[in-house]
Amino acid sequence: MSLGPDLAQAWHCPAAAVRARLPARAHPAKEAALDGTTDWDLLLARANAGDAAAFLRFLTEVTPPLRGLIRARGRGLPPDLHEDILQEVLLAIHLKRHSWTPGHPVRPWLYAVARHKVVDAFRRRGHRLHLPLEDVAEVLAAEADPAPLAAHDADRMLGMIDARSAALVRAVRLEGHSTEDAARGLGLSAGAARVALHRAMKRLSELAERMK
Amino acid sequence: MTNRPSTEDLIHRLATAPPPARLSGRGTASLMLGAVGLALALFLTLAGPRADLLPALADPQVLAKLILPLVLAPLALMLALRSARPGVGLPLGLLALPALAAVGLFGARLVQTPPGLVLPGIMGHSAAACLLSITALSAPALLLGLILFRRGAALRPALTGGLVGLAASAAATAGYALYCTEDSPLFFTLWYGLAMAICTAAGAVAGRRLLRW
Repeated sequence: MSLGPDLAQAWHCPAAAVRARLPARAHPAKEAALDGTTDWDLLLARANAGDAAAFLRFLTEVTPPLRGLIRARGRGLPPDLHEDILQEVLLAIHLKRHSWTPGHPVRPWLYAVARHKVVDAFRRRGHRLHLPLEDVAEVLAAEADPAPLAAHDADRMLGMIDARSAALVRAVRLEGHSTEDAARGLGLSAGAARVALHRAMKRLSELAERMK
Repeated sequence: MTNRPSTEDLIHRLATAPPPARLSGRGTASLMLGAVGLALALFLTLAGPRADLLPALADPQVLAKLILPLVLAPLALMLALRSARPGVGLPLGLLALPALAAVGLFGARLVQTPPGLVLPGIMGHSAAACLLSITALSAPALLLGLILFRRGAALRPALTGGLVGLAASAAATAGYALYCTEDSPLFFTLWYGLAMAICTAAGAVAGRRLLRW
């Protein structure tokens, strides 16, 4: 995944963006956790360690891209069946979640499981489906990019948090300024700005969660 | 309209469902090893290891028929485990190493053998017993392995089943080699190899049905 300057990217991968800009900062996993971001690897690792909330979040986040994939591929089938197939895939993700090897990226695992179940589901319903793995990866990656926040109007969301935090998020995440520059513009220390940015991103994620 | 629950309900139910079974590499290896070990212990108690076991092991060819399957068994099991874990690389080419070593042993012995003795060397005197014993000794571990591997996510069930069969039969072969007195690579590479191929095929056929998900 390239770190493009586009909006969806900036919203989707705040942790990655922060890492790219501030390479000296702490350890990636910790960073992602602090940021309240939606790192699938971290979520599934926690889920497999027994964290039901993390698994709920993981399933919730992979569902829209999976639904998109099934819709895009299953035009020959009645749309009513699409949701059935989606549920079969989600069930398989649950039943086979321990077959993901911690330390390996989640996405290739997810693509392989999804492809296996989707092809199987279509076959059982009498439709031969040719679905190369690259296609699954492509559709899921494309669908996965708009993060919860990007699904809503960014300005409306920023209007729901305090003005200084909103200005900070706008400067760093939307306009691509460094945290230090943004802090100076707002009369904050760099450290205070980083903390405020973390809190703001977390608050925005929660808002997005609620607005779903 | 179908009566299915909403996807959101399903997600909530899955998140709070009891955790699914886990295919543990170490657990699978120990249980399969236990199954082969029990079968071999019974066999070697009844039939007894070869009388000249210790002196025979000084012969590199005898050592090879023990060591090659001992290398192959964990390799095949490692590959089987990887094949049941999507998103992980599957270096099947590694299987070529023991196979090439066996072919090399066979070839080296072949060129040293006078033409008239090649066929008797290949046929030996216990080919049927060898095939039968190795397949029988592998069967419990193969069955157990297939049951355990149902917890994995084999994207190619026949391949995974075949690798489980190969792992079980390689372990059984190593034990059988303690009993078998046929020390010519002309005999053992061919018949041990054939016995393992039979178990691999059996594993593949069974895996195709048992390891689907």
